[in-house]
Amino acid sequence: MKFRLIIDGYRNAYENMAIDEALLFYGKPTIRFYKWRPSAISIGYFQSICEEVNLEECKKQGVDVVRRITGGGAVYHDEYGEITYSFVCPKNMLPEKILDSYKLICSSIAYGLHFLGLEAKHAGINDIVVNNKKISGSAQTRRHENVLQHGTVLLKVDVRKMFSLLKVGEEKISDKAIKNIEERVTSIEKEIGKVKEEEVIEAIKKGFEEGMGIEFHEEGLTKEEMKLAEKLREKYESKEWNFKR
Amino acid sequence: MKVKNGILKGELKVKNGKLIKCTLEIKDGRIKSIKFTGDFFMHPEEKIEELEERLRGIEFDKEKLAKIIFKFFEEVEIIGASREDFVEVIIKAR
Repeated sequence: MKFRLIIDGYRNAYENMAIDEALLFYGKPTIRFYKWRPSAISIGYFQSICEEVNLEECKKQGVDVVRRITGGGAVYHDEYGEITYSFVCPKNMLPEKILDSYKLICSSIAYGLHFLGLEAKHAGINDIVVNNKKISGSAQTRRHENVLQHGTVLLKVDVRKMFSLLKVGEEKISDKAIKNIEERVTSIEKEIGKVKEEEVIEAIKKGFEEGMGIEFHEEGLTKEEMKLAEKLREKYESKEWNFKR
Repeated sequence: MKVKNGILKGELKVKNGKLIKCTLEIKDGRIKSIKFTGDFFMHPEEKIEELEERLRGIEFDKEKLAKIIFKFFEEVEIIGASREDFVEVIIKAR
């Protein structure tokens, strides 16, 4: 299987989500790696922005908030704390069942993380864990006969900051609650120390090459994709979209 | 039976699954409006609005709600929760 590889660097939340949707529309087999500047929160399609996000605190800290087209939970995308990937291809290149395709993609990423020395494995529906702690979460959607799965791999994690931006149930940001989350979430840095981002990308890439038999060639977005993404960005910036639930 | 009125909220954490929340307004024992939120997956996503629309005007009755919801999920896929959970979260709403 031949895939395009896009190593995209920093973009803001609205551009990132617009590009993923544009990739999904055209369905060209692609894996894109990207980062978020400024840091942002993405919420799942079905989530209520007011229920999930401390909007005042986000504004204060300069953190953007965007609704995804994919379901799943709210994620804090730290400018320096994670690598995000998106995986796009026609539906017929993946297992028909959504759960099976999560398994294939997540297992390939987990396999890739082994090259860094991490004992990673796919767990639950859409997570990757190391020592039973979550290091990566993903979300998938299918449209126009194509599949988009995007997700994050944590490089380092600041639970206290994450808690200040997300509404975490009724509980206060107590030391106990933070310790509790720290026992369930991990990052590459926490497990094996600092690893260069390029090395992480290289490892995940290798995971896809060996796990799914993908051959990569580096290439940018097409003109059509850029044009569509430009248009879609307006949707992702809009109140109608972000506050729709 | 006492006729329900007003705004109700329900929340259900599915075992080994996701969280479903619902907010609904009941008038004269019928659903006036309803909204589901949460971190579940539904394909196609936009269909959720159709479900909310179909439940409008329906009696607040487990069997009647289940009939609509089960029918809806014949053509819509849900991951991280079941069709029964969607009935449950409404019935549990207080």
